[in-house]
Amino acid sequence: MASREFNVRTLPGFGAVAIFTLVMLYLPIVILVVFSFNEAQSQSSWGGFSLKWYVAAFNNSQVIDVSVRSLWLALVAAGISTVLATLAALATTRVGRFPGQTMIYALINQPLMVPEIVTGIALLIFVAFLKVQTGYAGMGYMVAAHTAFCIPFAYLPIRARLETMDLTLERAAADLYATPVQAFTYVTLPLLVPGIVAGFMLGFVVSLDTVVITEFVKSAGQDTLPTYMLGQLRRSVTPEMNAIATLFLALSLVVVSLFFLITRKRG
Amino acid sequence: MKKNVTLGLAALLATTGLVHAEGVVNLYNWGNYTSPELLEKFEAETGIKVNVTDYDSNDTALARVRQGGHGFDIVVPSNSYMQTWISEGLVIPLDKSIVTNIGNIAPEWVDVDFDPGREYSVPWQWGTTGVIVNTSVFSGDINDAGIIFNPPDELKGKINVIPEMSDVMAIAIYYAGGESCTTDMDVMRKVRDTLVSAKAHWKALDYGTVDAHAAGDFSAGIYWNGASMRARLQNEDLAYGYPVTGYPIWMDSAVVLADAQNTENAMKFINFILEPENAAMISNFARYANGVTGSEEFMDEVMRTAPEIVAAPELMAAGKFSPACSQEVNDLQSQIWTEVLQ
Repeated sequence: MASREFNVRTLPGFGAVAIFTLVMLYLPIVILVVFSFNEAQSQSSWGGFSLKWYVAAFNNSQVIDVSVRSLWLALVAAGISTVLATLAALATTRVGRFPGQTMIYALINQPLMVPEIVTGIALLIFVAFLKVQTGYAGMGYMVAAHTAFCIPFAYLPIRARLETMDLTLERAAADLYATPVQAFTYVTLPLLVPGIVAGFMLGFVVSLDTVVITEFVKSAGQDTLPTYMLGQLRRSVTPEMNAIATLFLALSLVVVSLFFLITRKRG
Repeated sequence: MKKNVTLGLAALLATTGLVHAEGVVNLYNWGNYTSPELLEKFEAETGIKVNVTDYDSNDTALARVRQGGHGFDIVVPSNSYMQTWISEGLVIPLDKSIVTNIGNIAPEWVDVDFDPGREYSVPWQWGTTGVIVNTSVFSGDINDAGIIFNPPDELKGKINVIPEMSDVMAIAIYYAGGESCTTDMDVMRKVRDTLVSAKAHWKALDYGTVDAHAAGDFSAGIYWNGASMRARLQNEDLAYGYPVTGYPIWMDSAVVLADAQNTENAMKFINFILEPENAAMISNFARYANGVTGSEEFMDEVMRTAPEIVAAPELMAAGKFSPACSQEVNDLQSQIWTEVLQ
């Protein structure tokens, strides 16, 4: 009986395809990490183990500068967009069907559908106009642009969590004379935390590696890590770049591990 | 509630706002092209802080500045784009009362066709595109584009060409006896045939092959002089050739933007980089020559004598600035380039 079921694992070549896919996904990253410890200034030949590129990165004030800016921007943008996305998710799931619901759903997720270059050009024109009119050229534009871009990424996991949540729990709270605010605070919100954390982290990562939008919106002295790295490409790329990328990889592993621990505990 | 939002917004603006302090100049430059020591020295001497922001192509820089509201004061375009910047009124003439070092520009770099008499721009860095050859594999004359376009047997299948259309096209057109941006179809047909048949003997079209040349993975190629120098420092069998039929010279020059907000500081910075000692700092960092008289004595030994930078006059004379070609010519070249890449 079991052998009659369709099982993808019994298809011919399953193992080979799976291994090939995993290798293609992870081998380039492994190579990047390995060469960050290369003594020689080379991406192809090994010259012995060394931490000198990490030292170089930490001594490069511009690298520190752009890294701090990237992290700051990602935290702020992910934070604001998670709050907005949570409100949007509640407003589109915890209400009866209303006209235009699908439309609003599409509007919220618009940044996922529109090619980034289109958003980038549109923002370039719009933001340049605002900068000229107001004379203000600070990080506010970058925060606004990144936040807008992060909202759908934060919205999707939160909405998914709300939709799969057991509604009887909220009803039970109401039956026990909880006010709507109490029901939300003590029942809905705690159950929603994994979705919110996932949304925040998705937003954080998306903001961290957005190149096109940053390139078009940034003012003087507002390079982020990705635009800084892009600027290096036409000249020689040294293992210093590998070292920085490895550090960010380590950071994202820490974030993902934390997320895993949090969600596992909440079940 | 509304008040809180307003307050929060005000706090956000206050913490992130760009202060239009007196002591700032905003430099918009190619990535990894500006010496950090140079900026420290400028700040120490003048008290003016330099913010550097990167771009990775002439087109990006032009698009951003055309749109306005960018906040940059100085930009460093390539020669082929300079006329666009000037004719669109995006840059202003140099203030000669501040830029008193203008006479330090080496005579051969003053009357350049992209800015005759240097009304707007001063040299930042310049370089050439030529051929890199492993002399342990090929012992003939290296100042010959034929090494790439009609390779001898020992080099077949060991050639890398940088995938820069304008550079490769220029060398091929000069090799075929044409002029930059030519519309002569006989010449262009010859260029196409030469490139298509040569491509069969090329191993790759890649950037960033310094290590591969040094390791002997390639034995010849079309490459930039600065990259060739770095490869030669790893492997002394490598040499840089200047095709006598003609090769492209490029120069990136600094200009002050018309809508700069720190114009005076920008002019001071322009004047500062024309000091031989300071120009040498840029070269020592970016590894290209700078076009400022007297800077040689402040350059690293390895650069002062580098054959990739210092060449015999008859070889230097074969170099030509590539002007910006018309759209029609670009389309023609793109067609040929696409055919070659297939």
